[in-house]
Amino acid sequence: MTLLSLRDLCVTLETPEGPAPILQDVSFDLAAGGSLGIVGESGCGKSMTALAVMGLLPARARVSGAIVFEGQDLLSLPEAELCKLRGRRLAMVFQEPMTALNPVKTIGFQVAEGPRWHLGLGRAEAEARAVKLLDRVGLPQSRFSPDLFPHQLSGGQRQRVVIAMALACEPALLIADEPTTALDVTSQAAILDLLAEVTEAAGLALLFITHDLAVVWQNTAEMLVMYAGRVVERGATPAVFDRMAHPYTRGLLAASPGALDAPLPPGRRLATIPGQVPDPRQRPAGCVFAGRCPRAEADCLPAQPAERRLDGHAVACLHPHLEETPL
Amino acid sequence: MWSEAWQEYWTRGRGSIAFVFGLAITVLLVAVALLSLVWTPYAVDAIDIPAKLQGPSAAHWLGTDQFGRDVLSRLMAGAVNSLAVSLVAVGIGAGLGVPLGALAAARRGLVEEVVMRFNDFTFAFPALLSAVMITAILGPGAVNSIIAIGIFNIPVFARLTRGAALSLWKRDFVLAARVAGKGRTRITVEHILPNIASLLIVQMTIQFALAILAEAGLSYLGLGTQPPAPSWGKMLNEAQTLMYLAPQMAIIPGLAIMITVLGLNLLGDGLRDLLDPRLRRER
Repeated sequence: MTLLSLRDLCVTLETPEGPAPILQDVSFDLAAGGSLGIVGESGCGKSMTALAVMGLLPARARVSGAIVFEGQDLLSLPEAELCKLRGRRLAMVFQEPMTALNPVKTIGFQVAEGPRWHLGLGRAEAEARAVKLLDRVGLPQSRFSPDLFPHQLSGGQRQRVVIAMALACEPALLIADEPTTALDVTSQAAILDLLAEVTEAAGLALLFITHDLAVVWQNTAEMLVMYAGRVVERGATPAVFDRMAHPYTRGLLAASPGALDAPLPPGRRLATIPGQVPDPRQRPAGCVFAGRCPRAEADCLPAQPAERRLDGHAVACLHPHLEETPL
Repeated sequence: MWSEAWQEYWTRGRGSIAFVFGLAITVLLVAVALLSLVWTPYAVDAIDIPAKLQGPSAAHWLGTDQFGRDVLSRLMAGAVNSLAVSLVAVGIGAGLGVPLGALAAARRGLVEEVVMRFNDFTFAFPALLSAVMITAILGPGAVNSIIAIGIFNIPVFARLTRGAALSLWKRDFVLAARVAGKGRTRITVEHILPNIASLLIVQMTIQFALAILAEAGLSYLGLGTQPPAPSWGKMLNEAQTLMYLAPQMAIIPGLAIMITVLGLNLLGDGLRDLLDPRLRRER
């Protein structure tokens, strides 16, 4: 059953220098209990997609298309209704656990807030629930009192608190926006394991936003690759990894150190993708990646390539790689 | 947990000379004011013409004024007046200014424009001048001087609150609170205000000192507390014509005002250092 469905989502920000299209024709479906990874470099629109689903785009954003969650179009819901969904059915984990917690409130209070607000629990009940949740994310009461303040915890521990807050009201969808980017490698692995464990246990759908291909490979069943506000490649994660078709996806892979657990051989330098993501206000008429693409030809320039199906996945490219991904 | 935090504040506070002095002066002032409510050496209004304009003596520690009233008694009772006027005036300023500033930061747009332009309008008049104007319209008296000082305190608190709140609204934990489905009012009450409380406390002590000065100024001009009620500003005014005969009559209330304002400023500075999160010890 489809839980979340985006149809032709376009987001344009009004800036003093003119309108900047941030997202263009983004469509995808996420099944209840499923997992979808969104990969791309900074500024490609990953986080904006998450904020759009949450209904938290800046006020100067113009939005068109549809975001259907549990049968309701979120874009047409009034703010008061959205407030009831946020935190209750939709939850989010942030990139920066150092700033995602209120420094002057105890962690127990912050985890208990959601249940008190959305589920109408009393103080004692909500606090008991907070203790259980903290225990579930690996912060047992015996060692981590709910009366601790955020500054008394490490980054990984804070991210666990943020996850406990997100899970507090048993949501249907968890959006994780680069949840491990700010953490060291060991905590990263632990947090990823924790996310996998809690989403599976609760039957949560997971929308996982990251720039790290290896994280997508390990954590998601399906994936999207975004570039400059557009989806350039999509499909089941193993199918995409077997035959990465878009030159951008291959560029990302080549730029990853030790992607897929293969360590970088000594002496080899990491590949880079030359150039930069084009300014949203000055995007070319044709393929947005053409300016940086090693395979670009004259026919890439006039119009944005339509999505075409390959075996098991889809790619928006006129000259895709058809051979297997060299790993 | 909190007792630990207080313990830490106390330990650090004791190390700061400014804080200790400021706190001591302020506590002493409040104690004297409270004492005067139940006991003063002489009745505040007891006139004793034969004993007028005396210098300090065993009977009258700080001397007597032109009607033979005991200066120490009047000084003590004047402290109540100064503290009460300032306390209520700062209360009005913070009570209206903080919600206005928080509203402006939470709503942005037109609401913010209206609130902040109103503040600019109030701010554009020099504080004492606008207080004079307000008492001129409403008539002189303690209550009207409270209103006048209170009004000029509103934009101070509104601006401070808005500025601090705006930067907090950009922080991730506020976004997290919005993601958790909270409305702007709840976020303001639960997340914004607790985070700027220390800032507001410091500003209150400083505004308090300014309010004491303003009250003394208004009373000196005859626009504040009316005789025969004792007030420091009025005492200064009455001493003015007697400067050569009895200079202590001007010096004593002047010193009282100076020490009080100094004490409150030291306390404010000390609190600022104490509550500064950058100086707060990490675990």
